[in-house]
Amino acid sequence: MHIMTVKQLGVWAILLWPYLLTVSIPLDCREEQSSLSRCPSISQEKLLDRVIQHAELIYRVSEESCSLFEEMFVPFPLQLQRNQAGYACITKALPIPSSKSEIQQISDKWLLHSVLMLVQSWIEPLVYLQTTMDRYDGAPEMLLNKTKWVSEKLISLEQGVVVLIKKMLDEGMMTTTYSEQGLFQYDVPPEMLESVMRDYTILSCFKKDAHKMEILLKLLKCRQTDTYNCYILY
Amino acid sequence: MKKVVEVFLLFLLLVFTPHAKGTGNSPPGKPTLNRCRSPEKETFTCWWEPGSDGGLPTTFALYYRKETSETVYECPDYHTAGKNSCFFNKNDTSIWVNYNITVVATNALGSTFSDPVDIDVVYIVKPNPPERVTVIVLEDKSWPFLRVSWEPPHKADTRSGWITLVYQIRVKLEQEKDWETHHAGQQKMFNVFSLRSGGTYLVQVRCKPDHGFWSEWSSTSYVKVPDYFHREKSVWILIMVFSAFIFLILTWLLHMNSHSLKHCILPPVPGPKIKGFDNQLLKNGKSEELFSALVVSDFPPTTSYNYEDLLVEYLEVNVPEEQELMLEENKDLHDGCLKSECSTSDSDSGRGSCDSHTLLMDKCGEAKEEERQTDQERMGTEAEDMVSPDMSSGRVKTWPSVFSPLPQYSSNTLDEQSSLEMAKQHYLSDSQFLPSSTSSYLTQPGHGTKEALGPSYWEFCLSNKQPHLLHPQTQARQQLQAHSDVDISSIGRKQAPAGLQSPLLRPTEYVEVQRVNEEDMVHLQPVVSGCGQNNCSPQMPQGEDYSKVKGVDSDNVLLLQRNMMEEDRCPCEHQETNGVKENCYTSSTVTTTQKPTAMPVQDEMVLGMNGYVDTATMCILPTY
Repeated sequence: MHIMTVKQLGVWAILLWPYLLTVSIPLDCREEQSSLSRCPSISQEKLLDRVIQHAELIYRVSEESCSLFEEMFVPFPLQLQRNQAGYACITKALPIPSSKSEIQQISDKWLLHSVLMLVQSWIEPLVYLQTTMDRYDGAPEMLLNKTKWVSEKLISLEQGVVVLIKKMLDEGMMTTTYSEQGLFQYDVPPEMLESVMRDYTILSCFKKDAHKMEILLKLLKCRQTDTYNCYILY
Repeated sequence: MKKVVEVFLLFLLLVFTPHAKGTGNSPPGKPTLNRCRSPEKETFTCWWEPGSDGGLPTTFALYYRKETSETVYECPDYHTAGKNSCFFNKNDTSIWVNYNITVVATNALGSTFSDPVDIDVVYIVKPNPPERVTVIVLEDKSWPFLRVSWEPPHKADTRSGWITLVYQIRVKLEQEKDWETHHAGQQKMFNVFSLRSGGTYLVQVRCKPDHGFWSEWSSTSYVKVPDYFHREKSVWILIMVFSAFIFLILTWLLHMNSHSLKHCILPPVPGPKIKGFDNQLLKNGKSEELFSALVVSDFPPTTSYNYEDLLVEYLEVNVPEEQELMLEENKDLHDGCLKSECSTSDSDSGRGSCDSHTLLMDKCGEAKEEERQTDQERMGTEAEDMVSPDMSSGRVKTWPSVFSPLPQYSSNTLDEQSSLEMAKQHYLSDSQFLPSSTSSYLTQPGHGTKEALGPSYWEFCLSNKQPHLLHPQTQARQQLQAHSDVDISSIGRKQAPAGLQSPLLRPTEYVEVQRVNEEDMVHLQPVVSGCGQNNCSPQMPQGEDYSKVKGVDSDNVLLLQRNMMEEDRCPCEHQETNGVKENCYTSSTVTTTQKPTAMPVQDEMVLGMNGYVDTATMCILPTY
């Protein structure tokens, strides 16, 4: 699984390099006509595809990280009781539709904005997660690498969604500024078990949210290509 | 009183009746939630396992609470999914939301709650098996392969991307029991290669969402692969034909060379070969016939023979004393130097009787017929090769034994130390075996028994008539040599015994026969006149002396050669009847002229050099 992930990462990296190039270069070439740099353009469909692939990969890696963490650090009796310790997901408050029928009813715009919200709300906690993971004894290298990778890729995903929103909705949008995030608390847990459970909650919630992102984006894609079928499915 | 008792009994009855009625009514046992599954991430079902029912009819209820709210709901549908189940339809299903579910069992006596279970629908997805699995056989450059195609379960919404499914195929031959599994990813078609021709294959497909459980395997599809063995087998047929062809060739080659191979692998074991000697007769045990076969018709030579013809050239073999004479197999002949041996330590000798002259006497005194015959046998077996006393190697082939007629010997030679006649040769060829009756020959039947002679002397065995001739040892310089089968006769002396010529020759060294080993080899030792038995230093004859035995040719003629010069060998061979002559021949020539008619002509000197033979004595022995 790890090898596949690495390979996939490589593949995605290769596939996404123009996208990253796009991201790194000012997104709106029209605004900076004086700039000599060329603006690489990418079609909307391709961009959406790549964003979806990105989201898929992020979900897969986060799933692996979560199970790894669960195996190593979480005592067995507590494994089945997610959110029992009282740590709710940080994105609980976000108004994300939670059923297919609901999702099918929301608009494209709302889909994209939901995704963006999700992505932006997770960037900071993942950074925080990295610092806490380093505190654990015997945290495997793989786990640390995965979380690091995920947090990096999340930033890329955010940029991609921003571009997508711009293209699809013609809305200008700002990328994340950290000061806006107040959802996450930085208090230090008093003891190891609490810390473990907290991190475990973070990972589980993130895993779920990554899945949400993936599904939302896929539904969006379906609407772009085959509108009729996407809406009437049961 | 009675009433009290009645009341008491009634009361007891009332108390115990409920107990007597059932096995024991109690609140129901705790139910457990088995599993919850969602086939398409839009609905889900939960099943539970009831505990003991406590003897009373029990009802179950399922309550759930969503993560986001505190409201507790009851299961909307208890029947769709069967007994002890709860079905949540689309409207009641929320994904990405944790459900806290509890089952309650209730009976008349109470209710029991199960342990709560948290589930998220997203993680409990187990799809239905793929549908419409089709398998067809296609051909790729005449090699068939299977193409398996299928549809996702109709309930799973893969088109919109709501669920992403990955598939797995497994294939096996009908008669085997192990499946071969292939991962097909998200595609809905798969090719299976490397099929066995004529086999029937079973194919199954299953699927799994990217997070969830594998579905059940689809129903089996059967497919039969057509026979294409004619293509496969043609290669095999070619290979078989080719190998058969090669095999035939090898067999033929083997057959052609079987002879040489046989010689290589199983070298023939030398067995006794005597001309005219029949092994079968020996086995049969009829010795008379056997030995009669050995008797040559013209032997003993008739009086028509000229004795001179039968003159045997006697040898005088000089053997340096310091070396041990070793008689060796014919093959080992090389420079035949007779080694004088002062000690008789010869490892391979079976010296026995011939070691001591007394024994020798006895032995020689026996009727020699048998011995002769055995000698003949032995002689016959030995290859006729060389005889040359080999000084360097210590092996000496037997030499022609010189048969000197006893009277001659005793009269002439024995008394005359100066001249030596060692002319003994002996004919060991079958046909020319001198009969002892002639008695003019000295034979060494004793030696024929392969006994080494004693050191430093030539011994000769006289025929039975003249046993005393064995005294040569005392005479010390009289040598006879032991016969050796082949060698001696090769000198062609066969007839010589009768015609031993007088030793003409010059005063030369004597070769002493040290011993005869069991192979009928004579150990020669050059003897210098005047030397003692043991410590003679060899002195080679100067000038023209034929002291080297070059060899014995096939006709048992001892071929001598001159000692002095390597290149100039004069084999002095046994002479003719007429005279004491030394006939010198170059090594290449042969005494064709010298042969007595009765003797087989030897044509070649097969011997190597280095026999020390006294030329004088080699020459014809005087006949008397």
